[in-house]
Amino acid sequence: MVNHVTIIMVEDDEGHARLIEKNIRRAGVLNDIVAFRDGTSALAHLFGPDGSGAVNAGRALLVLLDLNLPDMTGVDILRRIKENEHLRRSPVVVLTTTDDKMEIQRCYDLGANVYVTKPVNYENFANAIRQLGLFFSVIQVPEAK
Amino acid sequence: MITRLPSQGSWIARLSQPVLLACGFAILIAISGVSIWLVNQARKDAGAVAHTLEVENTVAAIQIFVRRAESAQRGFLLTRNADYLDLFDASSNAIGPALEKLRALVSDNAAQVATVDGLIPLVHRKMSEMQRTVSLGREGQWEAALQVVVTDVGEELMRTITQIADTMKAEEDRLLQLRTASASASAQWLLIVSIVGVVAIITVAGVSVHLSQRTTRALRQAHAALSVINEDLEKRVEERTADLQEANQEIQTFAYIVSHDLRSPLVNIMGFTSELEELRTDLFHRLEALRLRAGDTEGAQDEALAADFQEAFGFIKASIVKMDRLIKAILDLSRQGRAELQPAPVDMRILLDSITATVAHQLIEREGRVEVGPMPTIVSDRMALEQIFTNLIDNAVKYLRTDVPGRIQITANETAAYVTFSVSDNGRGIDARDKTRVFELFRRSGPQDRPGDGIGLAHVRTLVRRLGGSVILDSELGKGTTFKVTLPKALKLAHQEDE
Repeated sequence: MVNHVTIIMVEDDEGHARLIEKNIRRAGVLNDIVAFRDGTSALAHLFGPDGSGAVNAGRALLVLLDLNLPDMTGVDILRRIKENEHLRRSPVVVLTTTDDKMEIQRCYDLGANVYVTKPVNYENFANAIRQLGLFFSVIQVPEAK
Repeated sequence: MITRLPSQGSWIARLSQPVLLACGFAILIAISGVSIWLVNQARKDAGAVAHTLEVENTVAAIQIFVRRAESAQRGFLLTRNADYLDLFDASSNAIGPALEKLRALVSDNAAQVATVDGLIPLVHRKMSEMQRTVSLGREGQWEAALQVVVTDVGEELMRTITQIADTMKAEEDRLLQLRTASASASAQWLLIVSIVGVVAIITVAGVSVHLSQRTTRALRQAHAALSVINEDLEKRVEERTADLQEANQEIQTFAYIVSHDLRSPLVNIMGFTSELEELRTDLFHRLEALRLRAGDTEGAQDEALAADFQEAFGFIKASIVKMDRLIKAILDLSRQGRAELQPAPVDMRILLDSITATVAHQLIEREGRVEVGPMPTIVSDRMALEQIFTNLIDNAVKYLRTDVPGRIQITANETAAYVTFSVSDNGRGIDARDKTRVFELFRRSGPQDRPGDGIGLAHVRTLVRRLGGSVILDSELGKGTTFKVTLPKALKLAHQEDE
């Protein structure tokens, strides 16, 4: 993954955010990680003050999305990203504690690119995030229109 | 809400039908009885009238016979023509039987009998007087015969006879009048009784019709009220069901959220514990390096510290794993509560055989065996049934006693709409105090010497309830346990019932 790709991490739990960042770094991913702790601020950043998403045109974004946010569900953010003409090609990785089948199906239906369940066992968790980091290092991310 | 059914006049309505019917019958019987009696009476009266007339006729006949005999006697004496004697003989011969007949006819009337008894000798005397003159005439002693006539004895007798006959006639006339009056009275009574009867029957019928109309009306009202209540009841049942479903849904959602939200901090605890472990390793490496640089070779203290660290980490990690298992159990339970049921015919025999096959090796270890009785096929959710009976059979196997050969019996008992499956074991049993507790999540009974989290029976209960059934247990500590699972023969889905 080229260096100019920015990782947008939407994760309300500070601890999780920290652990995710640590393990992504351990995989050798050095891209910028911009963390948001709630949906509102994440949406503001993604879609800009006019809400069109044009603010991110020309940037390559990868979204790491938690579904359980204090102010909204990540599913809504996912839907808005995938419906937005500027952002819809940006890869969205859903990283959440839920392993509910219906939820997983819904996310893929809405256009999620990857769905990863956070393992409770930390070794597995760290491993999963590291592998995700390795995955990030090889995938291509298009620029937003 | 209690709606009173209209009760006004209900006791009348309740009583009236049989009472009215009884009344009607009683009136009919009474009228029939009275009519029969009256008809009988009328016939008797008519008979009495006829009898009276016959008596009068007979009296008249006797008078006529006497008169005819007398005129024949006179003719014979005047003309001396023997032709008159035939008439005389015929008349006097007829008098005897006529008198006897009269005597018989009036035998029911003492006064008339006395009169007749007075009449008979007079008639006989008159007859014998006339007989004597006739005899004298025949012998040619016409003078002697005329002498007898001239004595006026005959005339005297005749007058007396006429008088007595008139008295009798008068008496009979009086009786005739009485009897005619009586007969017409009977007829009148018959008419009156008939009219009264007709009126009574019409009244009873009218009242009956009125009452039955009122009863019908009351019944219709009650019906209407009942159907209103029923509708209300159905509506309330629906509301309650909806409430319950909502509450259930809320509980499921709650369980889901709780377990989900508990997981999040658990990831942090686990994660940072691991990070701490890493840090510890780094710290101890650094400590050792520093110690060595300072020339201190005594590492025993560090090792003791490391051991304490290790112990603490061990407890933390074990607790996290356990907590994760429990949270997962709650999640699974909430998922089972929400999973869609798919009713299909399930041959319980095949299902149970396949479950018992999975515990075969454990049974061999414990010298146990499973007996599956005759099983029906029911329409239910196969997955749920598998989980229910897997849990029950696993439990039965798990808690078999080690001192006796294990024996697990599975039987089915069918009723009209339900089947009760019994899973009996001769295992260690469950304390009576724990009878309901064991169905609660994370609760277990008896010595905690077997692996488990206290989840299985909670799942069983949740699933059985979802399938519209119930589960209870009978147990005797140290003897064995029987779980009784009652399930509907055909599973009905709630939303299908709504449609």
